[in-house]
Amino acid sequence: SIKMHEKRNTKQKNEEKTPKGAVPAYLLDREGQSRAKVLSNMIKQKRKEKAGKWEVPVPKVRAQGETEVLKVIRTGKRKKKAWKRMVTKVCFVGDGFTRKPPKYERFIRPMGLRFKKAHVTHPELKATFCLPILGVKKNPSSPLYTTLGVITKGTVIEVNVSELGLVTQGGKVIWGKYAQVTNNPENDGCINAVLLV
Amino acid sequence: MALYNFKKITVVPSAKDFIDLTLSKTQRKTPTVIHKHYQIHRIRHFYMRKVKYTQQNYHDRLSQILTDFPKLDDIHPFYADLMNVLYDKDHYKLALGQINIAKNLIDNVGKDYVRLMKYGDSLYRCKQLKRAALGRMCTIIKRQKQSLEYLEQVRQHLSRLPTIDPNTRTLLLCGYPNVGKSSFINKVTRADVEVQPYAFTTKSLFVGHMDYKYLRWQVVDTPGILDHPLEDRNTIEMQAITALAHLRAAVLYVMDVSEQCGHSLEEQVELFKNIKPLFANKPLIIVANKCDVKRISELPEESQKIFEMFEAEGFSVIETSTLTEEGVIQVKTEACDRLLAHRVDMKMKGNKVNEVLNRLHLAMPTKRDNKERLPFIPEGAVVRKKRMEVDTPKRKSERDLELELGDDYILDLQKYWDLMNSSEKYDKIPEIWEGHNILDYIDPDIMRKLEELEKEEELREAAGEYDSESESEDEEMMEIRQLAKQIREKKKLKILQSKEKDTRGPRMPRTAKKASMEHAFVQRKVLEKEMTDLGLDMTNKDDAHYARRSRSVTRKRKRDESVPPTSVARSRSSSRTPRDVSGLRDEKMVKKVKTMAKKAQKKMNRMGRKGESDRHIFDLKPKHLLAGKRKSGKTQRR
Repeated sequence: SIKMHEKRNTKQKNEEKTPKGAVPAYLLDREGQSRAKVLSNMIKQKRKEKAGKWEVPVPKVRAQGETEVLKVIRTGKRKKKAWKRMVTKVCFVGDGFTRKPPKYERFIRPMGLRFKKAHVTHPELKATFCLPILGVKKNPSSPLYTTLGVITKGTVIEVNVSELGLVTQGGKVIWGKYAQVTNNPENDGCINAVLLV
Repeated sequence: MALYNFKKITVVPSAKDFIDLTLSKTQRKTPTVIHKHYQIHRIRHFYMRKVKYTQQNYHDRLSQILTDFPKLDDIHPFYADLMNVLYDKDHYKLALGQINIAKNLIDNVGKDYVRLMKYGDSLYRCKQLKRAALGRMCTIIKRQKQSLEYLEQVRQHLSRLPTIDPNTRTLLLCGYPNVGKSSFINKVTRADVEVQPYAFTTKSLFVGHMDYKYLRWQVVDTPGILDHPLEDRNTIEMQAITALAHLRAAVLYVMDVSEQCGHSLEEQVELFKNIKPLFANKPLIIVANKCDVKRISELPEESQKIFEMFEAEGFSVIETSTLTEEGVIQVKTEACDRLLAHRVDMKMKGNKVNEVLNRLHLAMPTKRDNKERLPFIPEGAVVRKKRMEVDTPKRKSERDLELELGDDYILDLQKYWDLMNSSEKYDKIPEIWEGHNILDYIDPDIMRKLEELEKEEELREAAGEYDSESESEDEEMMEIRQLAKQIREKKKLKILQSKEKDTRGPRMPRTAKKASMEHAFVQRKVLEKEMTDLGLDMTNKDDAHYARRSRSVTRKRKRDESVPPTSVARSRSSSRTPRDVSGLRDEKMVKKVKTMAKKAQKKMNRMGRKGESDRHIFDLKPKHLLAGKRKSGKTQRR
């Protein structure tokens, strides 16, 4: 069957099976072998793909509930209306961001919690750079947070790496790369991230 | 310019100590107890306070350091150069610059984290933020470790520098090492500089003080200088060079005649020639030291010629021996005298002389004829002067008597009275004699004198000396007085008139008055009347500017005349166009406007409305009346 085809029979060295002492001549050059099943490369690849396209430094993150990230703001004459929400975590808004008229904006992202730069570490160079953020790619807790630009631990952000001076094979300059946030920015006051190479 | 005191710079703590100090201070001086269940604003304030407190502490301490350390541009160039030689100007400035940057960074960190803490919604979050803030500030200080160490060393060395006043009288000793400069200063002042047989015993500048001619003098001992070009000089020699370059002092170039210092006379002369440019503008004396070992006269011919050359150039050469002390005093006096003369010269050439010059210059009047005019000295002065010289015993004074008698002394002024009969000096004088007051009869001529006085007074009074201060009034004053009188009269009349007005009776409303009689403006009749009262001729004033009406008397306009109803007002007070014709060009427009107004009015009149706003209900069902529940009672009426 295909399964059997995929699992090859390999021969491995087996220490115990080698008999000590006199050995018949035709067995002299052989060491004990044992058969083991080794998964073929293809299987490995397929499993990798299943796991996800990216191998990230922070694979599992605690999911942030809505009550944690968004705070209810009461408005209205008698403070009865509760349709507005204020983001309590650090967020990123783009350059050309303008608020909607205050009467109509549902999600408030306070200016004090807006960050533009992140401290990004290159995993191989072990050097940290302060790079400007280009955008939020994915927030693992919820797609709503991604659209809002909320940055929590485990969020994948895109950063401007022109400072590093990376060049592609074709000679083009790389100026945007993904990085994953590794700390809780609302507790530390800064965004620390690891570059995804 | 801030006055710097090198001895009072604040201690610069090392980085580790600084951090420990500040953090423990924050721990001690801010409240420490906080619970989860406190209100969030209280928690926030608690942690914000800690962040701010730490930031403030760092800021204060760093600012103190920055202000205490002298700015090289603000201090005397001698000290600036000395500090450059000792501590390297660039390094010094960089270190202080780094401290400044650190201070600014810490301020920014504090600000940012306080801002962030406003959004902290739990104790844990605020606490983490505070921890991050404090940690960041401490890391900034940790990075300044090198600068802080360097500054501490500079501070310690700076406080031990000798206080040399660059502006006062100074004698500067220079020369090769081991020639006897330090011995000289030890002899002349109370300084105790180390004297040893090896070269470079003196490694830095030393100051000693001495007195001469009631003035304080500084003597500065320098390390020895070797003969090589300026770039090759090490720090120690550079200190000597700096002193030479910046202090305006008398230079004593010390030479070792006996060559015990290890350098020949020619070498010493070479050095002298090399540093000669530094001696410009300074009185110079060559001190030939160690003459107890070898005198100049014992030297070979060429060496003696060197000294003769010096003398020829105008530098005095004095032989000294610090061991036997011969010549030392001579050097001192000569150097001080020459320096004083030099300083006086400099001051004469300077700007400040003019203030003092009048005290220095004695003006002698030029002789206009040959007559001798000797100074006049009164006799008493001559006698007194003679007495002073001879020192004759003085007249016994009362004070001497008092001191002699001690407790028994009584002030007895009656012994000085000059009476005909001197035995009557101590007689008692009665106050009343035979019914008369003695004091009235002191002077036999007293009545006569009184009469004379009284006559004099009468004369004076008649002459008008005691009259009041009224000056003679000229025409102007008379006119002014007359006008004042008139004004006063008019005022009184007006007051009477207004009192007569019957205010309690019926009064016309202001609007009913004719337009030309608006009381804000002066009526023509009243104006003319007042002016005639004052004396002006107001008879033919129909053409006057105030009498012209800017519009015709008849209100109705003729049909064919298109006279603009509103003319440019000649005098603003008397022309105002009526409201219903203002802004309209001509008669046709006026008519049209009137018909339009009437038409608009028709509808409202039919509907019985007051105006446009009458009877229109904007909100048929107002929320505040119709919505909501009743606390008590029914909703039949609202």
